[in-house]
Amino acid sequence: MEWDWDFVWQIMPTLLEGFKITILATILGAAVAAVIGLALAIARRSPIAAVSRTVGFVAEFIRGTPLLVQLYFIFYVLPDIGIRLSPLVAGVIGIGVHYATYTAEVYRAGIENVPRGQWEAAKAANLTTRQAWIHVILPQAVPPMIPALANYFIAMFKETPLLSAITVLELMNQAKSIANSNYRYIEPMTLVGVFFLAVSLVSVVGLRWLEERYARMDD
Amino acid sequence: MKTRILATAAGIAAFIAVAGGMSASAADLEELKEQGFARIAIANEPPYTAVGADGKVSGAAPDVARVIFERLGVKEVVASISEYGAMIPGLQAGRHDAITAGLFMKPERCNAVAYSEPILCDAEAFAVKKGNPLKLTSYKDIADNTNAKIGAPGGGTEEKLALQAGVPRDRVIVVPDGQSGLKMLQDGRIDVYSLPVLSIHDLLDKAKDPNLEVVAPVVGAPVYCDGAAFRKQDVALRDAFDVELKKLKDSGEFAKLIEPYGFSAKAAMSTTRDKQCAAAQ
Repeated sequence: MEWDWDFVWQIMPTLLEGFKITILATILGAAVAAVIGLALAIARRSPIAAVSRTVGFVAEFIRGTPLLVQLYFIFYVLPDIGIRLSPLVAGVIGIGVHYATYTAEVYRAGIENVPRGQWEAAKAANLTTRQAWIHVILPQAVPPMIPALANYFIAMFKETPLLSAITVLELMNQAKSIANSNYRYIEPMTLVGVFFLAVSLVSVVGLRWLEERYARMDD
Repeated sequence: MKTRILATAAGIAAFIAVAGGMSASAADLEELKEQGFARIAIANEPPYTAVGADGKVSGAAPDVARVIFERLGVKEVVASISEYGAMIPGLQAGRHDAITAGLFMKPERCNAVAYSEPILCDAEAFAVKKGNPLKLTSYKDIADNTNAKIGAPGGGTEEKLALQAGVPRDRVIVVPDGQSGLKMLQDGRIDVYSLPVLSIHDLLDKAKDPNLEVVAPVVGAPVYCDGAAFRKQDVALRDAFDVELKKLKDSGEFAKLIEPYGFSAKAAMSTTRDKQCAAAQ
């Protein structure tokens, strides 16, 4: 089993095609997770018990079941009730909603970190609940959670190979298909690892920077 | 301290040597006899290979392999399910002793493994929606219709035939197994699901879906034959396998084994490994 550079250059364009999809799925998934996570966090704090309990249960349910099972469900079972999503859309929704249940916890921690006095002050200044959220609470709550959110997005990036199970032609699937027709695993799988490692290392540097920039909230 | 490091290094080296030695000779016939079983790769694609609800392995390919290995003095075969594409790398990595899964002989596969003489022969087929709305009868038709998507097993013959006919990669969907392929066809995710004729018939018979039909054989696609595949360095084992296979064929037992599954013994006996390996070139 020896390393073949010619083969590496030959398969590189195909892998890059797959890598684009991996990046796209990560960005879209992160957007979904960021938005839905916030919605979940706010809904969980709802004064109406029925809403907060239901949302809490749903989040617990999603967090307690494997992502792979959820992806299969979205891709193979939903068409039975007339919802047919393309593989990428199904994958983005699956991975985005799954991680939204985690980011919701980050948001919740951030929101609870804002001192109670801020709520009271907002109320005293005659702001509506909506105004209090947008102008007082979130601007103080969001910056400290940015590093934690970024951490989840990096974790999500590393989970995207699961999308190959629902026929999304991302990096892992392209590598498998190359291995399938050339009977060689060493180069494609090594390169998949290298691609992921490269992005993860860059992300870690970015994460450090975010931590220094935002994590200390008293400055 | 230094001596301890040296001792550890020596230990690791010895371990690697032992492990390496083990995997290199694992498919020697004497060793197989001694351990009492041979490890085969299968795919769970009836009627080629099938795993019952009780876990019992059947299908034409493992049935033939079981009988032959028994005559060679290896009492049992232990099957593991694998994707088609992963079979040859798995064989080379020493995870299997033989592939008996309807892995059709093609020149590039013949270069990678040592095939036995032909065992199971079949043409290619399409499963499509009732009435064949896109009028697809060949892989070329799929390439020409920019809306048509084909599903095929990853690393299988059908995937390669579709790509060779000029279907772009993004319209060749890699389907993990027969059930998923059927479901994706029913849901309209793919327009064609391509497998060998007997596999498609078996799948549709089980599905009992009146909205699907079979196009067989696919126009322009050759008839392929599989054989049991062994590692290149295990030619001795392959030759022993061939001797028993020949006896089976001559005695008529071969036909009795595979014809209940729908395969033609005559088709396999009228061709040879050399012809099949050269055929598609």
